Formats: sequence, structure tokens, C-alpha cells
Amino acid sequence: MKLNNRTLSMLGGALAAALTLSACAAPVAPGAVRQVEVTREVVVTATPEATTPKPFEGQSINVLTIQPHAVATRALAKWFEEETGARVQVLVVPYANVTEKAILDVTSGAGEYDVIEIWYPMLGKLVESGVLEDLTQWWEENKEALQFDDFVPSIADPYTLIDGKRWALPYDGDTHLLFYNRELLDKYGVKPPTTWAEYREACKTITEQGKSEGIYGCAIMGAKVPIILLSTFINRLQGYGASFFDADGKPTINSPEAVAALQELVDQLPYALPDPKAVAFDEALGGFTTGKVGMVEFWTDLGQMSDNPEQSKIIGKWGAVPMPKGEGPNAASRPALNAGFALGISTLAQNKPLAYEFLKFVGRPDINVRVNTIVGGLDPTRKSTFDAEPYRKHVTPELADAAKAALSGAFAWPTNAKWPEMQDVLTENVAEALAGTKTPQQALDDTQAKWLEILGK
Amino acid sequence: MHTLHRQHRREILWMVGPAVLTLIVFSLYPLIYSIALSATDSQLARPFREFVAFKNYTDAARDALFGNSLVLTFIYAFGVTAIETIIGFGLALLLNRESGPTRFARTLGLLPFITPPVAIAAIWRLIYDPSSGMLNHYLVRAGILEQNVAFLGIPGLAMASVMLVDIWQWTPFVFLLSLAVLASLPHEPYEAAAVDGANGWQQFIHITLPMCLPGLLVIAILRLIGAMKVFDLVFMLTFGGPGSSTQVASFYIYKVAFQQFKTGYASAMTIIVIIVLSVLVTLLTALYRRAQAKYGP
Repeated sequence: MKLNNRTLSMLGGALAAALTLSACAAPVAPGAVRQVEVTREVVVTATPEATTPKPFEGQSINVLTIQPHAVATRALAKWFEEETGARVQVLVVPYANVTEKAILDVTSGAGEYDVIEIWYPMLGKLVESGVLEDLTQWWEENKEALQFDDFVPSIADPYTLIDGKRWALPYDGDTHLLFYNRELLDKYGVKPPTTWAEYREACKTITEQGKSEGIYGCAIMGAKVPIILLSTFINRLQGYGASFFDADGKPTINSPEAVAALQELVDQLPYALPDPKAVAFDEALGGFTTGKVGMVEFWTDLGQMSDNPEQSKIIGKWGAVPMPKGEGPNAASRPALNAGFALGISTLAQNKPLAYEFLKFVGRPDINVRVNTIVGGLDPTRKSTFDAEPYRKHVTPELADAAKAALSGAFAWPTNAKWPEMQDVLTENVAEALAGTKTPQQALDDTQAKWLEILGK
Repeated sequence: MHTLHRQHRREILWMVGPAVLTLIVFSLYPLIYSIALSATDSQLARPFREFVAFKNYTDAARDALFGNSLVLTFIYAFGVTAIETIIGFGLALLLNRESGPTRFARTLGLLPFITPPVAIAAIWRLIYDPSSGMLNHYLVRAGILEQNVAFLGIPGLAMASVMLVDIWQWTPFVFLLSLAVLASLPHEPYEAAAVDGANGWQQFIHITLPMCLPGLLVIAILRLIGAMKVFDLVFMLTFGGPGSSTQVASFYIYKVAFQQFKTGYASAMTIIVIIVLSVLVTLLTALYRRAQAKYGP
């Protein structure tokens, strides 16, 4: 009996230790999910008490959001509740699972979600799957109130439009800037690059001199996750002036420009933070904010994180420039719309009027400013937000201008219904090129062939 | 007498019924659903869209990525099963005695396999980190490595690194079951062998190992089935990369089903994996029966 008690207490101890370990480890990011840990306290200012009765008192909706946007969506839910009396339940899922969750919710008939967050390249698939309510009429009715023309033009249509109809509201205007550590670049005598060749040389110079001290010229996110790997590749693809399709809609992914872009990426790998093939958000972010990495291409909210004393050692020591350009006649500094999210309404929404009301609230210009002045994982979708004083003060005027410039004219990923499959094929082949199991030419030829098959061309 | 018999039959029905119903609902129904789905051009949002008969199966047979993922699954499953069985059984032999330290070791041994795989993968991701990971730190310090290595970024090494985590996680399971096997061995053969002058090694080779063989085969079958289904570690550690060097079958099927949304094709691949696994288990079970007949009680 005594033995049993002791064994039981040991088992209990082991179980407690295991649970503690798992609890501690839970926030650590899987490679698949963009988990940018924001440790700064979120200050949500309360709206003054309304004097009129709240119009949606006692009603509620469920909003499906991704983990990196949980803070922002919860803040919006709180403000909406204060204004309308309606309760908004925020349901958070990992980024990688948001599309399947939305589709399964509708196909199973569960109808758990009223409002759904959409990774915009999945828009066509969600429309084809019958998941989203057609918002064309709603947009027509609210065009002036929501100041549609104030949305950044490069994102307004890709985020919302499929086959001439509008299905969503822009929510998170994501694009990349090239962030650099000013101190490191000065120390090793290099300037922020304007071309990908300069970038490679700058990265090489810093890495060759600093490697023994754990310093690397650049961090390249090459982990085999579509949103990570393709963002990295498409940054170069755009720099070289390549595109996915020609004017007739035929794939051109193995064009000389595209092959040169992939070759450039492969050539940069030896000088990057090891090993780029396993570097995802956390590794790149950690390397940059701890001052070990000279340059990183990242979403614009890295500026806020780099100035956060709780997670950064490079406060005030960083800068950001537009993405470098490639070589050749079509070369241009043309950023890509990497990531980027919208909000839509589920066809099975239990409370559609309230869901529309929530979208109307989120779409308001003043709310766009307000939600982008907390560290909540969002970036502006409106031109006016970039110019709004509270936002400029929050992120620094330099970053606000750089982000605005990057978003205007940014290149959108395809949004057709076949894109999920095409994207996976491209990810697979770019990963093979990075691993050295295919040449860039071979990888993109294989992609082209498969894309033609998928599109039935 | 007749009433009693009917009453008895009714009791049996009540007792067995729930189990049979559970089996039908949770095992047979999904299997039949998957088989039906595999014969259609289904998408996640549109199941049973168009009947395509065996097209998904012929596509799978031509799919180089699926073929590669099956090969990787075999390498992974047989590799970790063999190593876990050898180490687990070895540890069981060493700690097969009642004492404070061995009881503590046994309790400690439970830790890895009662910890959630997601937490394990997250911890090992930190351990493998090429910049600040513990493993690189100690290997460089010991002079085994000249410089830090990206364990999850080099094709050949990435697979070995994922396998190491599996081995760390599941060897204690094999160890505990091996202890149970050892505890069930009769004493008489050892007493007879001692009388005949057999030394420890001879007793191990001629008594312990043959008598443990059936039990070890059962443990190996259990681990093999588990390892063939590996998904969580790959998802968390490598996402199938670098290249496709760790893209095992379950992960590839997941990608096809939930990233490409081709559920019909994913179902066909699932059925192929089930068939392969069933053949494998049948062969191993036959081996177990032979071992049991030869060495069992």
C-alpha cells in the first residue's frame, strides 16, 4: 500500500510536470502558423456611454479570426459591444486552418460562424465553395458611408472582388518592407540595398565577417509553408518583373524573369541565418529583434515590435526601405501583397443583420485608425489611416510613409478558385529548389506543367 | 427454459450492442465514407461531386510525391520502431529489479509519452534551433561540431532529427511494456539453466530473448502502426521540408485534403495507406503467431 502511494505521488508529480511543460510550451509557434508574439499591453479605450438605447442589446454573433489577429478582433468586439449592445464572441484558430474551418462550418451545416476572416488568396475558393454571402448590394448601399475609395486601391479589389461581385471587407493590409539594423550595416560598411544583387552582397559581407560572433547579414524565411516561402519567393519574382499569368491567363511561372528570381533566392541562401529552409516567422523575428541579423523582409508591423522594449534589443536602431528590385528590362521595386486578410459573412450566419452591422462598424475610417493604434496584429487598409496623426505617432511617420508607399501599387497573389492547389504545387517546387533537389529552371518548369494541367490549358 | 434462453440472449444483446454500435459509428462509417469519397472527384466543400471510379487510385499510383511520401513513411516507421524496441527492451533489462532508483526511473520514463506531442515538438524546435539551441551549443562545446548546424534545414538530417524526437518520446512506452513482458516470464527455466551451469549471457540468449520475442513483436507492431501515422511531429517541426525530405504519407494526405481541398483524392491515398498497413500488420501478426507457437507458454 505504501509503495502504491509513493508510486502514485510520483506519477502525479510527473503528470504535473508534463502539464506544466506543455502549458509553458503552448505559445511556441509551429512552423505553419504566423505567431508573432506581442507582449505589449493592449490599452483598449472605453467609448463614452451612449445616451440613446443600444440598438442590438441582447443579440450576438460569432466571429472566426486567426490567432495573430486575436487581440485586434477582440478589441473590435469590445468597442462594438459598447456601441451597439451586441455581444461578439471571437473564435480564434491558427492561420493555417482558417479556410478549412470556414468551409467545413458551411458544408457540415453547423453554421457556427457569422463573420469569417479570409486570407485573400483563398477568396475564390471560398466563393466557389458557397461559404460567403454576396456583399455586392451591401457595398452599393454603403459605398459612401464606408468611403470605398479611401481603401488602398491595390488591395480593395483583390481582397473583395471575384467575378465582378464583392464578397468581403478589407481587414488587414499586409505587405513586406525590407527592415535593416542600422547599427550592424554601419559597422560592416554596407548600405541598405536597392537591388537583390546588392542585398546578396551586403548579406555576404556581414555574414563573412560576423559569423564567428553569431551575426548574419540577413534572415531569409524559407520554411516550407505557403505563406512564408511564397512571400519570400514572390518578393523576388516581382523585383525581376515576372508575373504568374500572361494577358490571356496562361501561366508564365517559368519565364526567364521568374527563373532568375528563384536563382537569386537560391544564391542568397548560403549567407543567410542558418538554415533558411527551416527559418519561419519566429526565427527571423528573433534574429532581427535580438540584433543578430542585419536585414529581414517582413510585414510592416515589425517596426512596432522592433521598438517594443519587452522583446527588442534594437530600439531606435532600425530602418526600413522598399523591397529591392531585380535585374533585366522589367526589373522594378514592386512589393507583393503577402498575407493580407478580409472579413466576410457566412452564408449560414445565424444573425445576418448583426453580421452586416459588425462589418459596417469595422469598415468605418475612424475604427480603422483606432484598431491600428493598438498592437493587435493588423495593418491599415485605408489611405486615410496612413495619414492619421494617431497612427503616424504610433508607428513613426517614417514607417507610416514607407508602408503606404509599399502598399500602393503592390502586386496581388492570384485569388481564383484553383489557386490553393496551384499554390501548393509552387510551394513544393520552390522548396525543392531551395533544398537543391531541383534546379530553379526544373522547379519552375515542373510548376508550369502542373499549373497547365490544373487549369486544363 | 425457453424464456430463460431468450432473456439471456437479450442480456447479451444489451451488453454487446453498445460496443458494436460504437464500432459501426466510429470505425466502419468513416471507413465506408472514405471509400465512397475516394471514388468521386470530391472537394472539401462539395463531397461526392462526380463519380470517377478508380481515377483517384491511378492518379495516386502516378503521383511521385505520394510514392516518395510512402517510402519516407516506411523509413521513418521501421527506423523508429527498431531503435525504440532495442533501446526500450535494453533499458527494461537493466532496470528489471525492485529498488528506489529503478522505480524513480520508471516514473520518470512516463514523462515523454504522457506529454502532448505539440509541446514535445515545440520544445525540440528550441533544442534544434541553429542559433541558440541547446544541442548545437553542447555539440560545438564538446568539439563534435565545428559550427552550428541547422538540424531541421538539411534534407538528410531533418528526417533523422524528427526520428530522434519520436525515439525520445516513445522509447519509454516500449520500456514499460518490455518490463511487463519480463515480469511475466516464469522462473523455472532460469533455475534449470542455473543448475546446468548457464551463465547470464547464455540465459539471456537461450531463455529471455526467445521467451520475450512474442511480446516484443506485439510491442513492435503497436509502435509500427503508431509511427506509420506520424503527423504532429512533422507538422510542428518541418512542415514536410526541406524540399520533400520529411513529407510522410499522413502529412502529404493532410496537405491534399486541407490545403488543396481535394478530399476525394486524399481519401484514395488514405485507403491505399490503410491497405499497405493492413498487409504489413497481417504479416507481422503471422510472425507473432509463429513466435508464440515456438516460444510462448
